[in-house]
Amino acid sequence: MLVDTLSVRLRPRTPNEAIDLGVRLCQSAAPAVYRCYFVAFIPVLAIALASTELIGWYSTIVIWWFKPWLDRTILFVLSRAAFGQPTSVGDLWRSQWRVCWRPLLFLLTVRRCSLWRSLTEPVYLLEDGPAIGSSDRIIQIRHRVVGSAFMMTQTFIGIEFSVVMGLFSLFWWFAPTGTSFDLSQLFSEDPPVFFAVANFITYSLGVFLLEPFYVAAGFAMYLNRRAELEAWDIEQELKRAFAA
Amino acid sequence: MAEALDTVVAVETPEGILIELRPAGLVVRSYAFAVDWGIRLAVLYAVAMLTAFIGGVGLAVWLILLFACEWLYPIVFELKGSGATPGKRVFKLKVTMDNGLPVTPAASITRNLLRVADFLPFGFGFAIASMLMRKDYKRLGDIAAGTMVVHQQKPAGKPVLADVPPITPATALAPRTQAALIALAARAPFLTVERLDELAAIAAPVSGDARRSGRRVTHRVLGVAQWAMGRRE
Repeated sequence: MLVDTLSVRLRPRTPNEAIDLGVRLCQSAAPAVYRCYFVAFIPVLAIALASTELIGWYSTIVIWWFKPWLDRTILFVLSRAAFGQPTSVGDLWRSQWRVCWRPLLFLLTVRRCSLWRSLTEPVYLLEDGPAIGSSDRIIQIRHRVVGSAFMMTQTFIGIEFSVVMGLFSLFWWFAPTGTSFDLSQLFSEDPPVFFAVANFITYSLGVFLLEPFYVAAGFAMYLNRRAELEAWDIEQELKRAFAA
Repeated sequence: MAEALDTVVAVETPEGILIELRPAGLVVRSYAFAVDWGIRLAVLYAVAMLTAFIGGVGLAVWLILLFACEWLYPIVFELKGSGATPGKRVFKLKVTMDNGLPVTPAASITRNLLRVADFLPFGFGFAIASMLMRKDYKRLGDIAAGTMVVHQQKPAGKPVLADVPPITPATALAPRTQAALIALAARAPFLTVERLDELAAIAAPVSGDARRSGRRVTHRVLGVAQWAMGRRE
């Protein structure tokens, strides 16, 4: 049974504490997460860069649109880390059909609209069942924590905005004297190349750095919810006491 | 197996007692920050509407209030006893020293003055990086002042057990096992019947039903939980 291999200490937690646990999980698995995530990020970056040829700030939209798809890779690594399994890029390569390609269309359409996607994504990836749909199960997992998951998603949007602005401000701090910084041109039809490059670098860096924490937070909420529904913490204690 | 992941920080008191603090991370602290920000904004807005009628003096009063809201608001609330600004109180958070003691005036002033450093390079970038990378989720101001923001809320309330006649256990039970049985009985109403039977089957030796399971065994295990709670026939 999977509860025995769980590398997370089980105890009753509020949803907010579960989010903190997710951050902790992401910290501990960071090398593997970022290695695999980087590999998955490369094709998205390529498409995003190509789109800047059309209009300078399209790269932002492309990266944003592919976020649910990127989340799958992160979740794959994190879920294995939570059960004590290391993940290499090779492991991801061997599972790529299940993780990345089978639900591709679903991820880029329906899942893109979800307002609490990191809470419910584990249901699709980790529970044996259809890759799409399974709404009864989603409702059961979501019950009572959907508000927290929604708030968490909104907060991460804010955090991401802050980080991207912070990175963008570095361009402003370090730009040579005399560089014109007319921010009204940022989202114009034909922004200066400088803005297009700065936009691309800051947004992709912000998404690259923050997305694993968002996915981990949702995954920890999911684990917490399952532990609560199925009394995992009690099972662990009872098994310890009556192991003989 | 490596040590199980958890967010708690263990602190030893001078008396040698180990207490666990649960540091609060970036997301819940952002909620608290947003509430505090809203409160300050509302106050400043309301006062601005009043002072607008008294000209230059009004503007002076308003600017002093702006200064107070920015710099004194968190310090005053953190030192007022509860150790939390209104926003933190909404989400059951509290500022403490690293060793769990109430926050001192010097530490409170330090951590709030350094909010400026946390704001750099723009929009709290350093604070976000620090809170995501540290195991105790401190921002720069917390590191400098030796303070920590911790959760106060206990997730579980007082256990309510189903009414089952108590049964004397078949074997001697360690306190930790008794606690697990009570936890099982308290959670019983929220579990599916099948799952409850499954869990009770693990604990079946306590009622002398080892290697048996089913509705009746579950009933008897819950009876032992009643016994552990202190009920006798």
